[in-house]
Amino acid sequence: MRQNAGDDDRGNAPAAGRSVLVPVGPSSTLRETIEYVVDSALDSHETGTADAPTDGASEDRSADASGAPDGRSEAVSAGSDEADGTADVDSAHHDSRPVVHFVYVHAPDEFDPADETPELDDAEELLDRVRVWAEEDAGGEDRIEIRTDTVGKDQYLFSPADVAATLIDAARARGAGRIVLDPEYDPGIGAPLLRPLAYELSRDATLSIEEAPVQQRVRRAPLVGRSSARRIGALTGLSFLFYQVLAGAVSPFDLVTGSITAIVVAGTLSRISLSRDPTPTQTPMRLVRFLVYVPYLLWEIVVANLVVAAVILDPRKEIDPTMVRIEPAVYGALPITSLANSITLTPGTLTVRVQGRELLIHTLLPSAREDLFDGSLERGVRFVFYGRRAMRIDSLSDRDVAEIVPSQGNDASGSNGGDGS
Amino acid sequence: MSLPLLLGGDLDAFVADAFLVGAALFVVLAIALLYRVVKGPTMQDRVLAVNVLGTNTVVVLALLSVGLGEESLLDVALIYALLNFLMAVAISKFTVDRGGVI
Amino acid sequence: MNEFRAIAIVACVLIGLFFTLVSTVGVLRLPDIYTRAHTASQADTLGAGFALAGVALAIGTDATAVKAVLLLFFMFVTNPTAAHAIARAAHEDGIVPWATEDGAEGAHSGAGAEDSGTVPADSGGDVQ
Repeated sequence: MRQNAGDDDRGNAPAAGRSVLVPVGPSSTLRETIEYVVDSALDSHETGTADAPTDGASEDRSADASGAPDGRSEAVSAGSDEADGTADVDSAHHDSRPVVHFVYVHAPDEFDPADETPELDDAEELLDRVRVWAEEDAGGEDRIEIRTDTVGKDQYLFSPADVAATLIDAARARGAGRIVLDPEYDPGIGAPLLRPLAYELSRDATLSIEEAPVQQRVRRAPLVGRSSARRIGALTGLSFLFYQVLAGAVSPFDLVTGSITAIVVAGTLSRISLSRDPTPTQTPMRLVRFLVYVPYLLWEIVVANLVVAAVILDPRKEIDPTMVRIEPAVYGALPITSLANSITLTPGTLTVRVQGRELLIHTLLPSAREDLFDGSLERGVRFVFYGRRAMRIDSLSDRDVAEIVPSQGNDASGSNGGDGS
Repeated sequence: MSLPLLLGGDLDAFVADAFLVGAALFVVLAIALLYRVVKGPTMQDRVLAVNVLGTNTVVVLALLSVGLGEESLLDVALIYALLNFLMAVAISKFTVDRGGVI
Repeated sequence: MNEFRAIAIVACVLIGLFFTLVSTVGVLRLPDIYTRAHTASQADTLGAGFALAGVALAIGTDATAVKAVLLLFFMFVTNPTAAHAIARAAHEDGIVPWATEDGAEGAHSGAGAEDSGTVPADSGGDVQ
């Protein structure tokens, strides 16, 4: 599964061990690969700095790292983590953060001057998503350094050897000593690529090549996830707090019954109520940013409500209902839900369907449509979940991910036109 | 309506009355919504109208709890809001053939 | 209770009434399920929100005020979700959205919303 061709020569590249290069493309195991890479990078980094412990945060992290792989994807093998940890210890003595480079390799059949721009946009969007995921896994921007880039833009790569040479050059240029391959990675040159690519890469003796030990996650029931001590703890605390709020005055009776109820609730419902472990650094930050977002959202709601109220109460004004479809740059169940809920709360727009990241939205007025395409709510949700930096994003219409669905309802999403009464 | 304020009357009683009058007006709006519940035409229209009516009921309960000084009505309102939400989601889910909503 | 707080409370309840009136008129008067869901989820949520804010203000610093705030927060989460569930059920049922007569361009076609709403003026009138 892995080729350790380069381990012996590690000493030649002093800074190499801290830095990992990962070629990324639109593959089905991309998410798991990123998680594995980030976990192993943090893991090896902290194994290396373990002699200067610890402010509590790194303890959390190591506990998290050991719990996370089997918590999220069935196929991660725990054994390879240790091997990587030891391999990288010697070079991890610098106190800087571990660096992970994600590169997008441009494929030849996409290399068409006529539609170059859309493809570049795809690459940008993919790298943007990769960065968000990686920072999410790392538990904060300051834990790890993520760099994203594209390579092969001005070359014509048509064989695994070419891609391998480009990747090796890229790794050298960035001082990366390790390349992790996504098992489903395919930069789009047609034939099955991974085996030949891994072989070509392994011919370079100074690099350590590894295939991320992930498999495509098996399809499982949509609601029931896995449980963990941290989830149960968080849910117990939340339930207990809720119980005390409802009870009003705090009394010994309420404390006892509240504790029992909270434990029962958390034990039975932890599998469906939280889909990720809450982290001590990220979750409070999100809550704080959410509290900043709420007044902004309320203001938007009130203003837009007045506009819609005028239209509804004044019989002379016309409505212009239209279905639109957008694909916002937020990822994961909770961010999508927040955005869909915010959109529905804002007058003039109503989320009708959510399929993956694609939202089908019914808009009442042209002005509401323009506001939606302007993407201010998307920016707000990105601010809450990904931080201030993620707010700098073009509007939805500029990114070409918003379109108007033709009226008369034949919108190709499976509705069969039957009458509903 | 602002007369008691100008006269410097009993503010507490005035606010309580205001809540009761407000609750009555909310009830009037809820009755108006019954038109859509009866008329339809689609099942979803009725569910939607009942949902809005339920929201009105929650507000009426909350207003009454302050207007009458019955704190426990607020708990009733909380439970009613929960049931109202469950009603809308459950009917939406189970009346669609594929049952794919949420 | 000082006058300022009393005025704020009454103002909250009145604004809440206004937006609930808007939502009621919308549900009665707008032409199809999707447009009705708009007012049901939005104006109604805001109306309930203002009224509950008035309730929380009236309770003041008592512990039960937390319940009113909780109720308010709960409304803001569940109402749009319920409206979305209903709209999605309608969409899955194949109900076609109402559109102005000449399609997306027809904002001024004159086929406004009046034809399907028969009693809105009355039901709105006796409230104000």
